[in-house]
Amino acid sequence: MNASFRRRMLPYVLLSPLVVFIGALSFVPTAVTTVQAFFRVMPLDPPTRFIGLGNFKALFSNPVIVTSWVNTAGYVAIGVVLSVVLGTAIAVALRDRFRFRGIVLAVIILPWALPAVVEAVIWSWIYNPTFGVLNSALHSAHAIGGYHVWLGLNRWLTILLIEIVQVWQITPLSVLIILAALQSIQPDLYEAARVDGAGPLQMFRRISLPLIRPALAIATVEALVLSLNIFDQVYILNGIAPLGSSVMLQTYVTTFQNLNFGGGYALSLLITVVTAVLSMATLALLYRRAEAA
Amino acid sequence: MMAEADTRDRAARAVTRAAAGPAGRALSGRPAWAAGRIAAIAVILLWSLFPIYWAFNTSLSTLTGADSTPAHYVPSPLVGTSYRAVLGIGGAGSGISGQLGRSLLNSTIESGAAMVLTVVIAVFAAYAFARLRFKFKRTIFVSVLATLLLPAYATLIPLYRIMASLGLVNTYIAVILVYVSGFLPLAIWILYNYFNTIPPELEEAASVDGASPMVALLRVVIPVAMPGIAAAAIITFLLGWAQFLFPLILTTDLSTQPVTVIVAALNQQRVVPFTLLMACGVLAAAIPGVLALVLNRYIVQGVTAGAVK
Repeated sequence: MNASFRRRMLPYVLLSPLVVFIGALSFVPTAVTTVQAFFRVMPLDPPTRFIGLGNFKALFSNPVIVTSWVNTAGYVAIGVVLSVVLGTAIAVALRDRFRFRGIVLAVIILPWALPAVVEAVIWSWIYNPTFGVLNSALHSAHAIGGYHVWLGLNRWLTILLIEIVQVWQITPLSVLIILAALQSIQPDLYEAARVDGAGPLQMFRRISLPLIRPALAIATVEALVLSLNIFDQVYILNGIAPLGSSVMLQTYVTTFQNLNFGGGYALSLLITVVTAVLSMATLALLYRRAEAA
Repeated sequence: MMAEADTRDRAARAVTRAAAGPAGRALSGRPAWAAGRIAAIAVILLWSLFPIYWAFNTSLSTLTGADSTPAHYVPSPLVGTSYRAVLGIGGAGSGISGQLGRSLLNSTIESGAAMVLTVVIAVFAAYAFARLRFKFKRTIFVSVLATLLLPAYATLIPLYRIMASLGLVNTYIAVILVYVSGFLPLAIWILYNYFNTIPPELEEAASVDGASPMVALLRVVIPVAMPGIAAAAIITFLLGWAQFLFPLILTTDLSTQPVTVIVAALNQQRVVPFTLLMACGVLAAAIPGVLALVLNRYIVQGVTAGAVK
C-alpha cells in the first residue's frame, strides 16, 4: 500500500465505525419500523403477515389511543409555548453582566442535566394531595380553600401539571440557545436605538426579536420534538391510565404490555412522521421569515 | 450553513466568556430597571432550584416531619436516617441499599462506556467531515444529522428485537450499543463545529513537516480540540445517565438496570416513604448534578453548538 492510496482511503476508515453503528442501529431499525407497521406482528400469536393499513385502522378505533393523540397535542402546545416564552424571558433577564452571573447560569442548567425520571418523582411529591408542598403553599397563601388532588382527576389540569415538569427540565436548553443569539447582537444597534429615543420594549421588539428568530426556531423545534415524545414524566406522574396518556406511553403499552408489536410499529411510524413533518415545517416557516425580516 | 454555524459558535463562546468574567453591557442604568431585574433573577433561581431543594429538604426530614401540614420548609428535626437507610450504613439497610448501589454502578458503567465509545467514533468521523474531501461526504453527513430531527424512539421496537435475537437483552453491551447509536449524531455535530473553529493552517504546518493526516489529527488537532471533545463527552454522559425508556425494555434485573429504572420501580411500589424516595433521588441525581455544575461551561458551549442544526 502506497501513501497516496492510504491517504485516499483515510476518510472511509475514519467513518466506518460511524456508518456501521448508525446503519445497523438507526437506519435499519427505522426501515424495519416503516415496513413492519403494515404487518400483523404478535410474538405470542404468530404468524406475521401483511395486513396493509390494518394496524392503523385498529389504532384509530381504539379510544385510548385516540385520547393519547389529543393529549399529546396538549403536551406539545403547552410545552412549546411555555418553554419558548419562559426561555426568552429568562435569557433577556440574564443577558447583561451582573455579579454572580456565572453561578446563576450554572445553576439554571441543573434541571436540564438531571434525569427526567428522578425529577418526575420529586414533582409527584410536590403535587402530593395530602402532604405536597403545592397544596400547603397555596393554602397558606389563601389561594385555595382546601387541599386538591392535582393529578388524575381533571384531564387538562393533569396534562398541564405534567407538562410543567417537562418544561422545567427543557427550558434551560431554550435559555442557552436564545441567550447565545441575544449576546451575538452588536451593542451598537441598541446604542443607536437609544439615541433615537427607543425604550427597552421597543428595542426588544424591533432589534432583539427579529435577530433571535433563528434561535427561537431552534428552541421551538427542540421543545416540539421533546414534548411530542414525552414519556418519562407521564410514566411516573400518570402511570398507564388513559387520562393523561401520551402517544409514546401508548406505544410502550401496546408493544411491551399488550405484545402487539405491529400496533407499536404503526404508532412509532406515525409519531416519527409527525415529528419530522412538524419540525421541518417549523424550521422552514421561522427560518424563512427570519431571512425576510 | 457554515457561516451560520460559525456565528453560533462565536455566540456560544460569548455566553461562556460573559459567564466567566467581564463582558456584555448594561442595557439601562435606571435603578427601577435594576431592582426589577434582581427580582426577576430571584424568581428564576427559585423556579430552577426549589424542586431540587425540596428533594433535599424531604430527604433530610423524619417521616413525621415530611408528612406534616402545613409543610416544613426546612427539615425539623434534620436527620440523616434516610441516607443511612438507602446507603445501608450501620446495619439499617433495607432492600433499597443493595438496589441503589448496584444500579448506580450500572448507570456509571453504561453511561461511561457509551461516552467513551461515542466520543472516539465521533472525533474520527467529525474530523473527516470537517477536513477531508471524499465521495458521498454530503450525503453521509446530512443523513447522519437528519437522525437528530427524528425521535430516538422510532428505533425502539426493532432495537429491542435485534438485541433479543442476539441474546443481548439484559446485558451492558445492548444498553451501551443503543446509547452510542443514539448519541453519535449530536456528538458529531458538536465536534464538527469545534473542528471548524480550528484554523486548517495548524495541520498544514504539520503536514509540511511530513506528518500524515492521521498523525496530524492525533498529535495536532485533538489536543487543540480538547474543549470541544470535553463538551461532547459531558453531554453524552449526561444523556446516558438520564435514559429511561430504552433501559426499561433492554434490562430486566439488577445486574444491568440503571438507577433511573430502579428509582421508577421504587416509586411504583407505593410503599417506599417519600423521605427514602427523595434520598434515592438525590443520590441518583448527584453525579450528573455535580458534573453539570463543575463543567457547565462545556455544556453551554456544546448545547449552543449542538442544539443548532
